[in-house]
Amino acid sequence: MKLPPQILRLVLVAMAIVGSYLIARAVLTPPTFGEYGWYRGAALNLIASREPVFAGKQACDECHSDILHNLAKDAHKTLSCEGCHGVSREHSNNPDILPVKATGSHCIRCHEANLARPVWLKQIIVKDHYGPKCTECHLPHQPTKSP
Amino acid sequence: MNEVTNIVVEALPQVQGYVYPNEAGLHPVWSTLIVIYPYITGLVAGAFIMASLVRVFNVKALAPVYRLSMLTALAFLLCATLPLLCHLGHPERCYEIMMTPHMTSPMAIFGFVYAWYLMAVLLLELWFDFRQDFVKWSKTTPGFQGLIYRVLTLGVTDLSEKSVRLDMKMEWILSIVGIPSAFLLHGYVGFIFGSIKANPWWGNVLMPIMFILSAIVSGIALCVFNYIVLTWIRRKTVDMRCLDTMAMFLFYALLVDAVVETLDVLHRGFAAEEGFAVLQTMIREKLFYTLNIGQVLVGTLLPLLMLGLLQLLRRRVPEAARRTMIFCSGAMIMFGVLMMRWNVVMGGQFFSKSFRGVMSYKMEFAGQEGWLISVAILCLPPIILTVLVKLFLSESEHLKPSEHLPETGANS
Repeated sequence: MKLPPQILRLVLVAMAIVGSYLIARAVLTPPTFGEYGWYRGAALNLIASREPVFAGKQACDECHSDILHNLAKDAHKTLSCEGCHGVSREHSNNPDILPVKATGSHCIRCHEANLARPVWLKQIIVKDHYGPKCTECHLPHQPTKSP
Repeated sequence: MNEVTNIVVEALPQVQGYVYPNEAGLHPVWSTLIVIYPYITGLVAGAFIMASLVRVFNVKALAPVYRLSMLTALAFLLCATLPLLCHLGHPERCYEIMMTPHMTSPMAIFGFVYAWYLMAVLLLELWFDFRQDFVKWSKTTPGFQGLIYRVLTLGVTDLSEKSVRLDMKMEWILSIVGIPSAFLLHGYVGFIFGSIKANPWWGNVLMPIMFILSAIVSGIALCVFNYIVLTWIRRKTVDMRCLDTMAMFLFYALLVDAVVETLDVLHRGFAAEEGFAVLQTMIREKLFYTLNIGQVLVGTLLPLLMLGLLQLLRRRVPEAARRTMIFCSGAMIMFGVLMMRWNVVMGGQFFSKSFRGVMSYKMEFAGQEGWLISVAILCLPPIILTVLVKLFLSESEHLKPSEHLPETGANS
């Protein structure tokens, strides 16, 4: 059976489109795609090769062991130093580069009253709470103690 | 103190009632771009259904707008994915969804639905419809435009009776394949929202049906709008039989759409499920203007009234008044459907998953999610349509029925 000319032409065009899709797929699919799952296998090494920005508590301990000692005795013992002081790998390599200064906004990030928070977590309504500065009455590293 | 209270003052006006901490910050993630995305896709599906009234259902009165509605569908379809590309960012990665398709992701499947609809339905049907004209124009038109026509013939110049009959038959088959495809294209958008079961505003089996019906309504309204504007620009007279028939279909489609959407509201009210109280707040406060005024009053009730009156008093209303009323209804319906998309997309993001609080949203002007980019994307299809009309709907032929009337195709 002979195909009518317009149908034949469309079949050729369709084959060209599907063919270029298959070629594009063969060329453009990353070689390691699907190695472990629905992603590029090489992405794992790429992520692992990135320079870390956090120093970790142990690095802080090298110079600030007195503060860590106090911290371990009180309610904030589970917190990481960099949770409030910001990423500090640069600071741990070179003490002249200072980490971001912690301010009162860091405190209310956890302690501003919110019904969604567990009741055991100390919460205040900042507007009704005394004081221009949290650290006037609370020691951040030993929150149950006053300065 | 300033430093501390500033944050509180900043956070509080954005929420009312009880919201989860992670809901107070980034909401809403989907904004104007995701509003116009289903809007544009709906216009495509609607314009195609409108065209298939001629081809499949043999409504001869609508023949003058067949080609215009097909070209409208094409112009809008070419821009249908732009809002998604702009919303997601990294448009240079868009091909990846086709290169590594994930068969369980509705978003990935949309890539194939879209490709199928554009390549296998719309372009093919248009090609078969225009093929004879391409051959004729390629012989008579000089220069670059002639080259375009020559390329579009794909080198087939056969105009024998047998091949023309085959063209018609193919068009008819493609139209029949096209109707479920158009439903699939837009039903998919409703499916995406309808399957989000954690959100009571979205998770609803009626969602795909409401999306398809409103798409048909907006598509017919767009064709009415385009037809009147085109005849006005070209200083031609409007074929009133065609316009009246479009108005009739628009009225019935709008009626069915309004009934189904009312059914949805009644069902939600009667079932009064867990999240119903917050949905009431949405309707009464957050979405008051866009839902009650925009969608229901301007987009549904007033056009229903006008079009319904025309159905009753058709012959007694003077032509000019009828034209104006139909034009206004079309424009209002298109506005109303845009509002419907807004209410669906934004409405689902205005309330907390706790069902006990609402968030607010301030529309940006510039930027990735600003309304400027959305307006720019909405302006693009009319520009493409202008080019298509200039190329493929010459003044002398415009308004004339398409050369091969459908009955031969349908009966063969």
